[in-house]
Amino acid sequence: MLEGLVSQESLSLNSMDMSVLERLKWVQQQQQQLQQVVYQSSNNSHELLQILQFHGSNNDDLLQSSFSPFQMLGSGFGPNYNIGFGPPHEAISRTSSCHMEPVDTIEVLLKTGEENRAIALKNKRNPEVKTRGEEKTEKKIKVEAETESSMKGKSNMRNTEASSDTSKETSKKASEIQKLDYIHVRARRGQATDRHSLAERARREKISKKMKYLQDIVPGCNKVTGKAGMLDEIINYVQCLQRQVEFLSMKLAVLNPELELAVEDVSVKQFQAYFTNVVASKQSIMVDVPLFPLDQQGSLDLSAINPNQTTSIEAPSASWETQSQSLYNTSSLGFQY
Amino acid sequence: MNTYNMVKQRFIKKWINTLHMLDSSIEHPLNVTERKNAIRLSSDLAIAATRSGSTVWSRALISRSGNKTTNKPMARRILKKARNRMKNRCNTLRRNGNFTAKSGTRKRTDLLKSLVPGGEVIDDKDYLIRETLDYIVYLRAQVDVMRTVAAIDLVTGNLTNDRRNK
Repeated sequence: MLEGLVSQESLSLNSMDMSVLERLKWVQQQQQQLQQVVYQSSNNSHELLQILQFHGSNNDDLLQSSFSPFQMLGSGFGPNYNIGFGPPHEAISRTSSCHMEPVDTIEVLLKTGEENRAIALKNKRNPEVKTRGEEKTEKKIKVEAETESSMKGKSNMRNTEASSDTSKETSKKASEIQKLDYIHVRARRGQATDRHSLAERARREKISKKMKYLQDIVPGCNKVTGKAGMLDEIINYVQCLQRQVEFLSMKLAVLNPELELAVEDVSVKQFQAYFTNVVASKQSIMVDVPLFPLDQQGSLDLSAINPNQTTSIEAPSASWETQSQSLYNTSSLGFQY
Repeated sequence: MNTYNMVKQRFIKKWINTLHMLDSSIEHPLNVTERKNAIRLSSDLAIAATRSGSTVWSRALISRSGNKTTNKPMARRILKKARNRMKNRCNTLRRNGNFTAKSGTRKRTDLLKSLVPGGEVIDDKDYLIRETLDYIVYLRAQVDVMRTVAAIDLVTGNLTNDRRNK
């Protein structure tokens, strides 16, 4: 049974690797496309380039960018677009602005602290691109820049489809997007503009947007097209994760003769240091850590993991006996960076 | 990344609490399977409590796990904690009667509904996908934390055993 699990996990992890690479390429392509758009457009391009320079390495963690779709919804990218950009904004704003109704749940998901929520709301209402340039060091801005570029990339693709509409756009779209209550959809040339088809199109676009987010989260979804295939991938992934939880709980049961986690003896700093060491070694926690390189006894073979990681495990162990902080005493170090 | 780490931090705190509660109410000795069930149960409860909000899956997971524990008062205690937090964020399910699907998608959607806790009551496909998204992210966090704890346990297992034997 365990061998079967091993092969399955390694398969899924391999697909995770591929998808990370593919996503890297995709975002680089987006950047290139975006730069092309920028060069073709008017004098506001230098602001865009500033933003582009921010997100150099935004792809080292799969989940970081998988959270960015959520933050895309949470931070109003609509108004951020249309102000501060001259002629290009008309072309970019041709895409439908998304209704912000999932903000509640997804903001809850993302930002648990009150201050974070305040920042999100502030960024929603603050459409100035220039102020964003001042806050270079903030992580949020990095993510917003990334989401903005990905949105621009998407809109750029739509631009090439029907670029004749660009000249006919008015700036009414800017004021429309600022109202986040309604779904605003601009009809393309030659398509029906009656109420029902608009609503239908909006609904379809919402679903496809969700599918896109799922593609970011579920690894290996990029190769599959069509709803059935993607649903297959999602189902597979959820089953995989559930089996992992099952297996890990069995492992913990084996390792702990009493019903407690030995982690409680560990000081907080060491535990957090383990997390940060893992991430700092360019090996994301989510991806490509060989989860089950098991030998016959079923214990985890630590030597198969990245050597950086093993040293980080052993270094704390020396000082665990000397320090005795409890795990509940969580300081703000370590988990923030 | 900041928020993901915060999620993991909250999860592990809750998990330890839940495990303690379970530990005090169940009589020892336990064999491996019972220990595994207890760990799994406490972990599921903790991850659902971490997400305690307006998601269907977290509420369904808590009620499902609450039925599994044989000890009723303790289950009620755990459920009460989570329910109090959720009471303020009631979210009515949207029921869309216009849901039509082709057969292949229908089968898969049904399968997905069976996987995601609480998915059976969701009719709207859009909402189901959103719930799945949310569920996947938190499931991922759960797996990450458990994996880390298991790795740490492996290293410190000998240390703690020696300490206890002394």
